[in-house]
Amino acid sequence: MRLALYIGRRFLFLVPQVFLISFITFVLVRLLPGDPARLSLGPLAPESSVEALRAKMYLDRPIPEQYAIWLENAFQGDLGESWVNGTAVLDDLIHRIPVTLELIFLALIFVFLILVPLAVITASRTRNWIVRLFQNVTFGYGMLAGALPDFLLGLVLIFFLFAGAAGLMPAEILPGPEGRLGILDFEPPFVTGSILIDSLLAGDFGVFWSGVLHLIMPVFTLAFVYGAPIFKMLRSQMEGALKADYTTYAEAVGLAPRIVLTRAARVAAGPTLVITGVVVMFLLGGAVLVERVFNYTGLGQYAVQGIVTADYAPIQGFVSFAAIFTMLVYLAVDLIHFAMDPRIKIGGVQN
Amino acid sequence: MWLRIERTLRGLPKWQLVVLAIFFGVIFLTVFGPWLAPFPTETADPARRLLPPGGAHPFGTDENGIDILSRVLAAPRTDVVIGVVATAISVFLGSPLGVLVALYESRGGAGATAFAEIFMRLLEVIQSFPVFVFAMVLVAVFGGSVTNIIIAIAFVNTPVFVRIVRSEVLSLVQRPFAEAAKATGNREIRIGFRHVLPNALPTVIVQVSVTVGFAILLTAGLSFVGAGVRPPTPELGAMIASGAKYLEIGQWWPALFPGLALGLTVFSFGIFGEILTLIMEPRAVRKETDRRRAAALEAGEGGGAAAPAAPALFLGAEREPVLRVDDMRVAAPMTGQTLLSDIRIGLGAGESVGIVGESGAGKSVLVKSVLRLLPPALAVTAGSIRYRETDLLAIDKRAMRALRTTQIAAILPNAKSQLNPLTTVGAMLRSALQAHEKIGAKAADARAVELLEMVGIADPAQRLAAFPHELSGGMAQRVCLAMALMYRPKLLIADEPTAGLDVTIQRQVLDLTRALAEEAGTARLIITGDLGIAAHYCDKVAVMQAGRIVEAAETHRLFDDPRHPYTRHLLDCVRV
Repeated sequence: MRLALYIGRRFLFLVPQVFLISFITFVLVRLLPGDPARLSLGPLAPESSVEALRAKMYLDRPIPEQYAIWLENAFQGDLGESWVNGTAVLDDLIHRIPVTLELIFLALIFVFLILVPLAVITASRTRNWIVRLFQNVTFGYGMLAGALPDFLLGLVLIFFLFAGAAGLMPAEILPGPEGRLGILDFEPPFVTGSILIDSLLAGDFGVFWSGVLHLIMPVFTLAFVYGAPIFKMLRSQMEGALKADYTTYAEAVGLAPRIVLTRAARVAAGPTLVITGVVVMFLLGGAVLVERVFNYTGLGQYAVQGIVTADYAPIQGFVSFAAIFTMLVYLAVDLIHFAMDPRIKIGGVQN
Repeated sequence: MWLRIERTLRGLPKWQLVVLAIFFGVIFLTVFGPWLAPFPTETADPARRLLPPGGAHPFGTDENGIDILSRVLAAPRTDVVIGVVATAISVFLGSPLGVLVALYESRGGAGATAFAEIFMRLLEVIQSFPVFVFAMVLVAVFGGSVTNIIIAIAFVNTPVFVRIVRSEVLSLVQRPFAEAAKATGNREIRIGFRHVLPNALPTVIVQVSVTVGFAILLTAGLSFVGAGVRPPTPELGAMIASGAKYLEIGQWWPALFPGLALGLTVFSFGIFGEILTLIMEPRAVRKETDRRRAAALEAGEGGGAAAPAAPALFLGAEREPVLRVDDMRVAAPMTGQTLLSDIRIGLGAGESVGIVGESGAGKSVLVKSVLRLLPPALAVTAGSIRYRETDLLAIDKRAMRALRTTQIAAILPNAKSQLNPLTTVGAMLRSALQAHEKIGAKAADARAVELLEMVGIADPAQRLAAFPHELSGGMAQRVCLAMALMYRPKLLIADEPTAGLDVTIQRQVLDLTRALAEEAGTARLIITGDLGIAAHYCDKVAVMQAGRIVEAAETHRLFDDPRHPYTRHLLDCVRV
C-alpha cells in the first residue's frame, strides 16, 4: 500500500519531467551555431533552395511550433532525420543504444562482482593478514581511481599493452585496442544490438569471443574509474554499520555472525544504491570519452559527431534518451530504496 | 582554527603532506606557470617536431614542435582557473537558493510540501542530463571559449550545491541555536543567512574541493573530445588528445606528461579535500579528545594510588556467585594506554549491584569487557572474568554466543539506537529466539507476542510489524527488556538502561525490570550516572573514577557514610 502510493506519486511527476526534458533539449539544440539547411546544401547552393529546405525542415517557424511538430512526429515514432547521414534517428538510436548500454551494464557487473565483495571485506572489523592485504591494495585503488581521468586510463592501457615494440600484449591474445570487432569479423545479425547476445544467438562463437576481447578494455576502464564512488560509499557505510550500536547489540543478543553481517549490510546497501544511480548517469558521460578512446561505435560517438556537425535530430534524440534513461534509473533506485528503508517518507523529499 | 589546522597537519601521514605540497605547487603554477615556461607555449616550430625527452626539452616536444614542459607548466592556468571559477559560481548561485528553498520548506504546511516536491523534481530534471553530455551541448551551443566552458560547468554543478545546502539548512533550522535566534526576534531570512548558513559551511567547503577536482576533469574531458578549450591554448585535455594518436606508434611523451600532470592535479585536489574534511568536521576532533581522555585515564592511574586499599569483593557470602571479575585490566595494546585497572566485582545470585561514576570513568568499557564486546583496539590484558563456573576469557566465540541472552543478557544505552533501523520488532525477537533454540517462525511469533505482553506493550501482535523509528523511547526500552529476559537469564547487565527517557517512564521501566528480574531470579549489574537510580534499585554500589573502582559498599553504607573523597564529591553534587 505504502509502496503503491509512492510509485503512483512518482509516476505522476514522471510525465511532466519527460516533457520538460525533451523541451529543454529541443531549445538547446536549436541554439546550436550553424544553419542546418545551409550546412546541408553547402556554401554554393542558391539562397532560394536553402530557404526552401528551411521551410521543409520547419526551421522558419517559431520554436514552440517546431517543438509541437517534433512532438507529434515523436509520438508516431519519427524522431527526425540526421541531415549528415540521411538516416532516421530512431533507427540510429535503436542500433547505438544497446552498444553503450552493453558497456555500462558490463562495467556495473564488473563492479558488483569484484569491487563490492572487496568493499565488504575491507570494512570488516577482523584484522587478519588477508583483510590487511586487501585494505592496502584497495586503499591505493581508492586514491588512484578518484584522480585518474577515464580517457587517460584508456590511453595508458593502450600504450602499455599495444604501443609499438613496447607493447606487452602479444597480438594473438588480445587484438588491437579499437572497435567492437576485429576487421575480419562480420557483425552478427541485429537482434538485441548487444554484440555478445547477438553473436550467441547466431551461434557464432568466434565473433562472440572477438566481441569479448574488444569489450575487456573499455569495460575495465569504465569499471575502474566509475566503480570508485560505489566502492568508497559501500566501504564507509559498511564500516559505519559494523561499528553502530545495533551491530554490537545484535552480537550481545547472540545472533549468528551471518545474520549480524547481513543486517548491517542491509543498512549499508541503501546509500550505496543511491550512489550507484548517480554513477550510471556518469557512466553515460564516461562512455562518450571511453568510446572515443577505443573507437567504439556507440551512442557517445554518435552524440559527439552530432554536436560537431550541428546535426539537430541526432543530438535531440541522444540527449532526450540519456536524460529519460537517467531519470528512469533514478526512479528505479528511489523505488528500491523506498521499499528497502521504512524510514523514508512518502513525500520523499527528506534527504 | 589555526590550532586545529596545526593539529590535523601533524596527524597526517607523510605521503599526504607530499601531496599537499603538490597541491600548493599546482596553485603556484596556476598563478605563475605561464611566466616560468622556458619556451614559447603557442608558437609552432616544424623543425623540432616530436623530439623525444632530453636535452633542452626534458619532456620532449609535441607534433607542432612546441616544448611540452613549457605547455605543461602553463596549462594549470587554463584548467584550474576554469575549475575554480566555475565552482565558485555554482556555490554562489546554489547556496542562497538552497537556503531560500529550505527556509520556505521549513515553514511547513501543504503549500510548502508541494513546493518542495515540485522543486526537487525540477532539480532532478536538470540533474538527469548526463553531466558530461549536457556540458558538451552547452559548450557547442555557446561556443568553446573559456567563459562559455565556465558557464556550462557552473550550470551543471549548481544543483549539487542547492541540494547540499538545502538539506543542511533543513536539519540545522531545527537545532536549538536557530530556535534561539528565532525566539529573540530575528527575521527568518536573517536567521537563514546569518545563523544557519555559516554552520552549513563545513559541508559546503568539503564539497567545493571535490567539485573543483571534478570540474577540472570535466574541462579536460570536454577538451579531449574537442568540445572544450581548443588548441593552441595550453590545456591538459587537449594536449592529451593531440598526443593520443602518437601513443600507439610508441611516441608516448606528448600524451603521457600532460596526462601525468592532470592526474596529479586532480589527485592533489582530492587529497586537499580530505585534509579539509579532517579540519572542518568535528568528528576528526572527537578522535583527538578520545586520545586526550585516554591520556587522562592513564594519568589517573598515579592518582588512584591515594585510594583506600582494594575495595571489598561483592560476594554475598550466603549466595552462590554469578559473576566474578578479578583484578581485571583493560588496555589498548597498540598504544599501550590503560583504560581500566584492578577492577574487582562480585555478584551473587539475584543480587543487584550498581556502578556509578561520571561519564568517561570507564563504566561502559567495563560492560563491554564483561560482555566480551570490546572494539578490536581494546583488550583485557590481565585478570579474570568468571560467569559461575565458566571462565569467560577462555571460552571461544561460539560458546560465548550460546551463553548470551540465555544466561547473560544485556541492555545497552539508548534502546532506539540498539535496534537495527531496518529490522522489525518481530524479526528481531524471532531471530533472537531462533539463535538459541530450534523454533519455527509461527511459534517464535507467538512467543514474541507473549514477551511483548510481559513487558507491558499494548497491541503486541500489531507491534511485531513495527520498525524502531515507529516506537517511542520507552517502548523501545521495553522491547530491549523483553529481549533481555526472554530466557530468564542468571545475569543481566544493564548499561544506562533508562538514560534519555523522561522521569516517569524511567520509573516504570526500572520498576518493571526489577519485578521481572526478581521473579526470574536474575542478578543485575546496573551501570548508571544517576545516583538516585543506584540508591533506589541496587543492593550494593561501586563508585568508578578514571578507570578504577575507588569505593564499593552496601548501598545504605555508601550513601550514609561515604569514605572516598570522590564519592563524597559525587554525593555533594546531587545534594546541592
